[in-house]
Amino acid sequence: MAKEMIAMLLAGGQGSRLYALTEKLAKPAVPFGGKYRIIDFPLSNCVNSGIDTVGILTQYQPLVLNEYIGNGQPWDLDRLYGGVHVLPPYQKASGSDWYKGTANAIYQNISFIERYDPQYVIILSGDQICKQDYSDFLKFHKEKNAEFSVAVMEVPWEEAPRFGLMVADKDDRITEFQEKPKNPKSNLASMGIYIFNWDILKKYLEEDEADPKSENDFGNNIIPNLLRDNRRMYAYHFNGYWKDVGTIASLWEANMEILDPEHSGINLFDEDWKIYSRNSGMTGHKISAGAVVENAMITDGCRIKGTVKHSILFAGVKVEKGAVVEDAVVMGGTVIKSGATVKHCIVAENVTIGENAVVGAMPTESENGVATVGAGVCIGDNVKIGPDAMVRNDVEGGEE
Amino acid sequence: MMNANTSALGIVFPNSYDALVPDLVNVRLMASIPFASRYRLIDFILSSMSRCDIDNISVMVNNNYHSLMDHLGSGREWDLVRKNGGLHIFPPFVEKSAKPYTGRVGALANILDFLRDEKEKYVVITDTNIVANIDFNDMIKFHIESGADVTIAYNEQELPESLVKNQSNDLGYYYTFGLEKGRIRKIYVNAKDTGIQNFSMNMFVVEREMLIDLINTAFVRGQEYFERDVLLPQLNKLNVQAYKYEGYIARICDMKSYFDENMKLLDDYNLDALFSGGPVYTKIRDDNPTRYIEGAKIQNAMVADGCVIEGEVENSILFRGVRVAKGAKVKNCILMQDSVVEAGANAEYLVMDKNVTITAGKDIKGAPTYPVYIGKHKTV
Repeated sequence: MAKEMIAMLLAGGQGSRLYALTEKLAKPAVPFGGKYRIIDFPLSNCVNSGIDTVGILTQYQPLVLNEYIGNGQPWDLDRLYGGVHVLPPYQKASGSDWYKGTANAIYQNISFIERYDPQYVIILSGDQICKQDYSDFLKFHKEKNAEFSVAVMEVPWEEAPRFGLMVADKDDRITEFQEKPKNPKSNLASMGIYIFNWDILKKYLEEDEADPKSENDFGNNIIPNLLRDNRRMYAYHFNGYWKDVGTIASLWEANMEILDPEHSGINLFDEDWKIYSRNSGMTGHKISAGAVVENAMITDGCRIKGTVKHSILFAGVKVEKGAVVEDAVVMGGTVIKSGATVKHCIVAENVTIGENAVVGAMPTESENGVATVGAGVCIGDNVKIGPDAMVRNDVEGGEE
Repeated sequence: MMNANTSALGIVFPNSYDALVPDLVNVRLMASIPFASRYRLIDFILSSMSRCDIDNISVMVNNNYHSLMDHLGSGREWDLVRKNGGLHIFPPFVEKSAKPYTGRVGALANILDFLRDEKEKYVVITDTNIVANIDFNDMIKFHIESGADVTIAYNEQELPESLVKNQSNDLGYYYTFGLEKGRIRKIYVNAKDTGIQNFSMNMFVVEREMLIDLINTAFVRGQEYFERDVLLPQLNKLNVQAYKYEGYIARICDMKSYFDENMKLLDDYNLDALFSGGPVYTKIRDDNPTRYIEGAKIQNAMVADGCVIEGEVENSILFRGVRVAKGAKVKNCILMQDSVVEAGANAEYLVMDKNVTITAGKDIKGAPTYPVYIGKHKTV
């Protein structure tokens, strides 16, 4: 039985620019938006688009991700035929390799893809916050009779040099690809989401693998090779909300944008396009008398006795009396003790912020970078952590 | 399967005491009454059982059970999708000779064949109108060590007013015990005594083989109620032990107690006591976190996911997907799933069932002694 299209989700990246947040987990497993992890977005998009077979390519720190995905049931991806599969590199009869590049990761799983005999394969990346209907993308791909399509976003021209750019003609046919060029000829940035005809993809993967000089990367090798051969390549325009959350600043910003769905465009209150996640199983959150909660997202298990303004709180966060949380992303299980101030920062899971400690922007300052506290860290009483700080270990006293 | 000498299967009666809360069970049954912002009453029993490795559970539905079937699904949320055991739902078995049952005897008589085929040594039997965090393993241990034929859980409390005041028996039976060194010597039916009583929780542990014998005999004699007709006359013959439950307990006996027991959870001490035993599982709705918009004022409230709060909320329990619009005031209310309080409306001492809407500017008030109930899907 053949599947029309299956998805391959690249989730092996370390996400090194998230520093302390990705020390023990892969970037796609980073918590986001109060009760999600980043990977919930592509997975939910798949299910909502009618894709029921997803291979997740993991390599870096896969434990958290593996456990989180489990049998795929929260995303309705526990299927008899298909469903979600975590695909780490594995030992083969001759030669075993880590995934050398994005293309090589897919190459090593050709046999997985062939089990489903698909006509099309969509390549997704596990580090983007985006609600996208892949079935509409596939419709475009078929209408253009394309062999390869890439989802693109229009970006401001001044930012274009930071992206991989697709130069396309009036019919959206791609004529040139520029990787982070100094002089951009286009402002259509690749979102790193591709649809391939499977026969074409397989052919180019095998060819790429045979080339010892290749970096085995989609952007650097596969796409240029397709262009070289004048393949039918098209750019699919996507206009919705899209955010690459590869840095602390962009991750913080994307979280803050949830608080303003009317303007930012990321609406999680969408009955027609739900984002699924594994549930915490905690009781409803509790806001005590005397607490102040303004412009915030709060989820199950939280106990709020202090002040929470313009912040995102994940499951089971405790904000004690007199504590102030402002412009902050506070991940699951973290306790903010009385009198502490947590501002303009990302605090990872199961952190303890001691009494009267200050994390992030100091009260008198403004316009600072985002401070980050890694998972499980203990910040002692009265400790001061300045803006832009990256805290990986317990801090017992003083300032950082 | 765990240790065969202590393994137990569970039997749950979701319709028991429906008559005490006629409004709330109009479109459902006791077991599926929403409680504590995101649960249904049966979640507490199923989660307690699941935590005690009781993973062969039969739910004896009698009527109005659509909402419960929808809630339970395959039983996955409670980890009850099992090749051996798992969740069984037994609707009344209708055949020419059978008449609808009223008590536990008739219901259990219907599933005797099932009971004979199972492997577990013990049976745990319970209703769903009690919210508690029961350690059934401890109760089974007590049962074994005391050498009991039947063990019944009870707690010490005064009888609820609604039960004492009611003079007829048409709301069902409740039981209090006279104890002698832990052994039940007297069972009082629908007592009207004041002061602290040994108040039965109607939770039983009994050996499966013995249960089959007792039910067989009772059914042939046309008896209906297990406590009243089977145990009460045989208290000298059977060793019926009382297991004292000292943990947190909430009994739903009428609308007032439903309201009060929800509100009690606004006290952290009570909330922690009820949930200290471990997670309580429920059906997942995949709501997003609750959003508090600028200008929202919230004091002393328990709120589930999926709500959008723009107005004022005080001393209230909000279930999943509730909307409180700008300028609306909600005070001392229970708002069930997806209910809406529109702009400028005022709600006080209300129990709003699912999907109720209070339209803009309306002013609806109940009283502390008499919370006003608004039925499912109604618009005020």
